[in-house]
Amino acid sequence: MATAGGGAYSYSLTVFSPSGKLVQIEHALAAVSSGTTSLGIKASNGIVIATEKKTSSILIDDSVIEKVAVICPNIGIVYSGMGPDFRVLVSRARKSAQAYWKIHGEYPPTKVLTQELANVVQQATQSGGVRPYGVSLLVAGWDSHRGPTLYQVDPSGSFWAWKASAIGKNMVNAKTFLEKRYNDDISLEDAIHTALLTLKEGFEGQMTEKTIEIGVVTVPSQGELEAGKVEGTGRYKPTFRKLTEEEIRDYLAL
Amino acid sequence: MSIMQHNGGSVIAMVGKDCVAIASDLRLGVQSLSISSNFEKIFPVTERLYVGFPGLATDVTTLREVFRYRVNMYTIKEERAIEPTIFTQLVSSTLYERRFGPYFIEPVIAGLQKTPSGSYEPFIAATDLIGCINFAKDFVVAGTASEKLFGVAEGLWEPGLEPEDLFETISQTLMNAVDRDAFSGWGAIVHVITKDKVITRKLKGRMD
Amino acid sequence: MDVSFALTGKGYVLVAADTTAAHSIIKVKSDVDKIKELSPHLLMAYSGEPGDTVQFAEYIERNIRLYQIRNTYGLRPQSAASWIRRSLAESLRSRHPYSVNLLLGGYDVSTYTPHLYWVDYLGTLAEVPFAAHGYGSYFALSLLDRYHDPEASLEEGIATLRRCIDEVAKRLVVSPGKYLVKVVDKDGTRVIEI
Repeated sequence: MATAGGGAYSYSLTVFSPSGKLVQIEHALAAVSSGTTSLGIKASNGIVIATEKKTSSILIDDSVIEKVAVICPNIGIVYSGMGPDFRVLVSRARKSAQAYWKIHGEYPPTKVLTQELANVVQQATQSGGVRPYGVSLLVAGWDSHRGPTLYQVDPSGSFWAWKASAIGKNMVNAKTFLEKRYNDDISLEDAIHTALLTLKEGFEGQMTEKTIEIGVVTVPSQGELEAGKVEGTGRYKPTFRKLTEEEIRDYLAL
Repeated sequence: MSIMQHNGGSVIAMVGKDCVAIASDLRLGVQSLSISSNFEKIFPVTERLYVGFPGLATDVTTLREVFRYRVNMYTIKEERAIEPTIFTQLVSSTLYERRFGPYFIEPVIAGLQKTPSGSYEPFIAATDLIGCINFAKDFVVAGTASEKLFGVAEGLWEPGLEPEDLFETISQTLMNAVDRDAFSGWGAIVHVITKDKVITRKLKGRMD
Repeated sequence: MDVSFALTGKGYVLVAADTTAAHSIIKVKSDVDKIKELSPHLLMAYSGEPGDTVQFAEYIERNIRLYQIRNTYGLRPQSAASWIRRSLAESLRSRHPYSVNLLLGGYDVSTYTPHLYWVDYLGTLAEVPFAAHGYGSYFALSLLDRYHDPEASLEEGIATLRRCIDEVAKRLVVSPGKYLVKVVDKDGTRVIEI
């Protein structure tokens, strides 16, 4: 199974145990479970994804840490687990979105981008000499075909669509909390507040605009869709954006 | 003699009221010698989208196969039919992949584009052999009779034609233009695409 | 210069090719078989650059056979034609393209229909009722326009083919002497003496 020129380590490190488990993937999931909590909630008119941004020392300049990443104007992702692994996936996802744009003249639907990312993650469980990615992702996006959609990608490469989900340290509690709070016709504003409340459960320390990050998908109005590209820019209005610190502060104040 | 003229053949597309039409001749030749009077160069992409490939005949077949593959892959991956605008981008990027060793084809695209409100609007476009897109509001032409097609279409086309009138206009434009071109002709095929159906008719022209 | 013709009739395809091998202006052989039997129901007449022709024809022949061995069933004429066309089209944009022109005559045993394909070295493929390659085509095609009948019996088809051969013999300066004629129909392929 060695790839040519791979040398001594050209075999996959992810191998089946006699019981049929892939222990490396379970270890990766453990890495995710010890990571900071992230969550996503789908609302009737949009999606919110949020995460806590914790630093190990007050001396760290947290203004340059980015945990919610814009992939393309209609898709954003957040993670729990290993930061460096996330960075790699972000750059892969951005490249993939641009490659898609070069061929089709529009950005990928959320499902296609998610599938592409899940493939990258899956490959790491079968390729020689590599370890699985130590992250779970929440992918939120809007496209004309499926509207707003929220996906979760796990280290095994499997992915699902969610109405609301949580990953990371507090995922079990957060999910129970979300199950109680969720309903199908929740508005984006309410969803953002629910997201904040959920994060607050089990949040260590002070929750401020400096210690959380939020990204939102807004569903474009019929008028915006019919108007097409925005005058002057020659582009469609982005449907995913990160909330600024000011906006987050306003939400926290309420 | 340019390789674009080697096999002969022409394609034209026109916009009508809530419909579009695309038509081509049926000749396949080798320079001035005619080989077949039944060589189709227009192919369906989806139920409401057609593409025509005038140019070198080997590339007509090759590109038909390339786009059949790419559109099928798109349909499976995205679980939706490809829209005319996206297909046009796909044509453009596929041709530009061969920028320095091109397929000798100038595609013509005609279809109905889904709008955000759920209705359909006419769409036509053409590209050159390396994928430079020409979006048009009235008509597009390509092939060995393109100059003549431009002239006749300029005279016959008018805005807001109903499907039957559009059929007559595109047919007359094509038939009269290819009669002045030695490399096009030998019958024609016309597709009129409307919201609910596609009307396809084969025409006999001067078979000489 | 090679000459080849083919025409369809009721339930058969006739394929004819000259039997001359020439080096420059010299005839070196006059009994060459330029029509390969690719499968029990598929004939291929080939012409073009000496060397390329045999090399390419044998490559096609062996691969069509390999497909049959691997899949129990062989390719039907349309699929065989499509694959052969693609081989030529891919070769065209390679460093050393084959310069081979083909006539493919086949009988589809699943639909009981004869098929004839005209293929050139560029990878151009057209299904036609009758076809020709080489200088002979300028004479044969106009004759076939006048006399070809897709419903003709084998005897009538052979008579039409004779006209083509005679016309080329009469009018072409560099006309070949002898022709080999093969037919493919529901019973398979066989040589026809004319």
